[in-house]
Amino acid sequence: MRSSVTRLSQAARTAAGSAAISSSTPGPYCWVNPAAPSSSSSGPLAGRSIAIKDNISFSGAPTSCSSRILDGYVPPYDATCVQLLTAAGAHIAGKAKMDEFGMGSLTTHMPTSYSAVHNPSGPDGDAEPRYAGGSSGGSAAAVAEGTAWAALGTDTGGSVRLPASYCGIVGHKPSYGMISRHGVVSYADSLDCVGVLAKSVSSVRDVFGVVSQPDDNDMTCASTEDREKAATAASKVTGPLRIGIPIQTHLEAPNVQLPTALLEYLRDTGATLHAVDMPSFRMALPAYYVLATAEAASNLGRFGGGWYGADWEKEKVEGEETGMQRRRRIRTTGFGDEVRKRILAGTHALTADAFNNSYLKALSLRRDVRRDFAAVFRAAHPVSGGDAPSKDGVDVLLFPTAVRTAPKFGQASSGAKEYLQDILTVPASLAGLPAISVPAGRAEDGWPIGVSLVGQWGHDEVVFRAAEGVEAWLKQ
Amino acid sequence: MASFLRTRIHVARSAGTSISAGPSRLRSPLFSRAASSSATTASSSEEGWELIIGLEIHAQIRTGSKLFSRAKTVYDEMPNTHVQLLDAAFPGTLPVIDPEAVRLALLTAMALNCNINPRSTFDRKHYFYHDIPPSYQITQHYNPIARNGTLRFEAGEPGVNRTFDVGIHQLQIEQDTAKSQTVASEVLVDLNRAGTGLMEIVTEPHMRSSDEAGAFVRKLQGLLRRVGSGDGDMEKGNLRVDANVSVRRPGQPFRTRCEVKNINSVRFLQQAIEAERKRHIEHYETQPGVPLRQETRGLNEMTGETYSLRSKEDAEDYRYMPDSNLPALAIAPAFLESLRTAVPELPWETVSRLTSTFGVDRRDVETLIGLDEYTGAGIAYFEAVVGNNAELGKKASNWVTHELLGRLTKNNKTWSPEVVPASLLGEIVSAVEGGKVTGTVGRSVLKHVVMTGDTSKDFETLVSELGLSASADDLRASCEAVIAKLPKEAEKIRQGNQKVVMRLVGEVMKMSKGAADAKRAKDMFFELLK
Repeated sequence: MRSSVTRLSQAARTAAGSAAISSSTPGPYCWVNPAAPSSSSSGPLAGRSIAIKDNISFSGAPTSCSSRILDGYVPPYDATCVQLLTAAGAHIAGKAKMDEFGMGSLTTHMPTSYSAVHNPSGPDGDAEPRYAGGSSGGSAAAVAEGTAWAALGTDTGGSVRLPASYCGIVGHKPSYGMISRHGVVSYADSLDCVGVLAKSVSSVRDVFGVVSQPDDNDMTCASTEDREKAATAASKVTGPLRIGIPIQTHLEAPNVQLPTALLEYLRDTGATLHAVDMPSFRMALPAYYVLATAEAASNLGRFGGGWYGADWEKEKVEGEETGMQRRRRIRTTGFGDEVRKRILAGTHALTADAFNNSYLKALSLRRDVRRDFAAVFRAAHPVSGGDAPSKDGVDVLLFPTAVRTAPKFGQASSGAKEYLQDILTVPASLAGLPAISVPAGRAEDGWPIGVSLVGQWGHDEVVFRAAEGVEAWLKQ
Repeated sequence: MASFLRTRIHVARSAGTSISAGPSRLRSPLFSRAASSSATTASSSEEGWELIIGLEIHAQIRTGSKLFSRAKTVYDEMPNTHVQLLDAAFPGTLPVIDPEAVRLALLTAMALNCNINPRSTFDRKHYFYHDIPPSYQITQHYNPIARNGTLRFEAGEPGVNRTFDVGIHQLQIEQDTAKSQTVASEVLVDLNRAGTGLMEIVTEPHMRSSDEAGAFVRKLQGLLRRVGSGDGDMEKGNLRVDANVSVRRPGQPFRTRCEVKNINSVRFLQQAIEAERKRHIEHYETQPGVPLRQETRGLNEMTGETYSLRSKEDAEDYRYMPDSNLPALAIAPAFLESLRTAVPELPWETVSRLTSTFGVDRRDVETLIGLDEYTGAGIAYFEAVVGNNAELGKKASNWVTHELLGRLTKNNKTWSPEVVPASLLGEIVSAVEGGKVTGTVGRSVLKHVVMTGDTSKDFETLVSELGLSASADDLRASCEAVIAKLPKEAEKIRQGNQKVVMRLVGEVMKMSKGAADAKRAKDMFFELLK
């Protein structure tokens, strides 16, 4: 069994190597499937090429999570979402580059051997390379350049929506628990969602329909019963949409603004627009960073233990080394800077002295965010109920996905600014709500901008409908 | 999957080495540095000190599979052969709880009279060690499944000379670790045990002697087996005990306690408690005013002394955090009610019922319970033997525990409800006690059935087939034969010397090989020799 795994892993690495060498521009993939799509496949996704983010387990290729610590690691199983894709006839196009373990927003936190991921969606004649965004940057770029019809990414605090916005495509973070996480390498379990990226809402819906299934291998994956409740609740949202615009998401120029023409168009089609107050949004960011880093510190504790991992882990070093020293060496050299930073921050948040003032405080802020969302929606949560549905509530929230267009290479902002972006994307993650970023034209610099729509839990279809409204505006 | 893993044992610096299959005692060194106190026998200085004991018990949940993976739980098998990807913490794997483990933990909690938490949750306890591949143990730190129970002890139970309750602080579900073993400079790890479900049962400090602590463990073992939630087998390590020990002057506040970890027999538990008692008293007697260091200690099983593992100051920060992969365990009230009716009669309840209803000896009830601690089949068998003749209870228990079990032992057979059907033994007991046949006849029938294994015939048939029936005609014929054989003695009886009749009765018994009824033979002689 071992030898076959080794062979597989070598074949996979050869494929990855040859793809990188043969490609004249640095590509979005860390592994390209050498096989061509099968012409004989059947199913709703027959013949469709779909890229999967490199933190989603696929037994046909290494799953490195862009980390040296998992360099060449070939999972002995397929993630549930991968099984569903292939069963539906899809062709796995390749493994898409990402920020290490999902930590980052530009797809820059990668092993040094990985070439940068370019944003393929710039205006004609703009030769200055820009980032694709992150952490699912490879997935977004693969779709935008057309080598994949769709892609799976993961979204913990915006990692699908942000690159979708930068690359001018659609990126959907489903309601928490809709797509099984079994086989998806955890960053922060309570926030992680597998998401779908494609060029149109209709394509996203097709892929989502295939991978959004209950799964006995993931206890946080929504049950058939809960899905039925959600579908029934979502089907009751009919007629003109009531769209809320959170005042906290309005940032002053030069930050990206909601296009006025879009708002007018939506109003002309019968939707009503409402300013809503979401005071907890301001505290969402610190809450997110405490929770995400704490969970990451816990989840990433498993690496360096020796049961799986990179080949270099097995090499002996000179002299005596205890098991603990060995683990320390592997983790210190195996993780990149950003990951080490977040593990340390998360470890601190969980220490006895800091726990009450960091982790517990963050949990309480997370409840505030949930409460703000619950208060603003017209429909109650289909499973947990909660606040009585409000007639004056809205069906979806609308705001810019990103504060700016894709940054230029080398313009990678300092840590603080990289984090600031997250204020637009993390509240939906903390509340586990469906959120989609859909293209909304281009900014003055000619690069794409995207707008986000967020709905009640389980209302993914309502969010799709609203996003199709934005698409219709863009097409007219 | 297992074979895939087996080829990859290279934890720490141990590439490709095989792991010895023998049971290893977790982090329990054979030799330790000597404990500070010398072994002193109880002396007058030990008087006036009260011993305070609380226990923490880890009992593997008897489901046959691991708590969050579907790997089987095994003992003493080839290392790393019962390991699923989750047990080795492969990236992307997620825990899926076994509902049977929850059911058994709930039954146990009910038997311990605990309050059941309708919404318990799982947390992660973090530390880096080879025996814990994900670097955290899933446990119930913040919201355990049950709290506030009691286990009652009555004066007269083995090792107990007062009536008291041991409070159960809490019962929580958690994962067991892997086994790790240091061989020369290599650390070898066996994941077969990793992820096995445990119940951690924490008592209040309500025990006052090592005998009481031993009695608690034995009573809990019986409870676990009867409820079916655990084997409680300390030798196999599926029940392990930590003891918290301190001493104080009666009526005064508690003093510093020390915890002795991972004790794996009742004898060692009592040894550890005694060693700690002596050590604490000696400390307070020789260094009054100096507080004892709060420590975690181990037991050196060779010397019976304890030794320091770590002091409270270097206690690890486990960074407890809710486990987001596991939703809260919400227990539906209807399910809880149905479980309440499923709690069987517990061993000590059986003892008290049978001793008071039938006057059966405690020891005999314990023997009956011991026939099958898990199902109570021994008790059920005894009750079937008694049937509706409650007045035969004590005799029936003698027949089961002495005649039947003794006969089985002699013939090297083990008991089951089928070896001698309860209905047949019931017939034997009532025939003997009703005077229809002698005890000897009853025992002969029993012996025959045990030896032949033929359980198809009823009592009457067996008696006559074995030639053991003693009809009135047979008796008269026997008596006449004896009179003919012993004319002198017969004459004495005719002349009124009644004592001599026993000589004749003895002869009848000899002839009938014990089958005859002595009382009826005596009456017959008086009738014939009027």
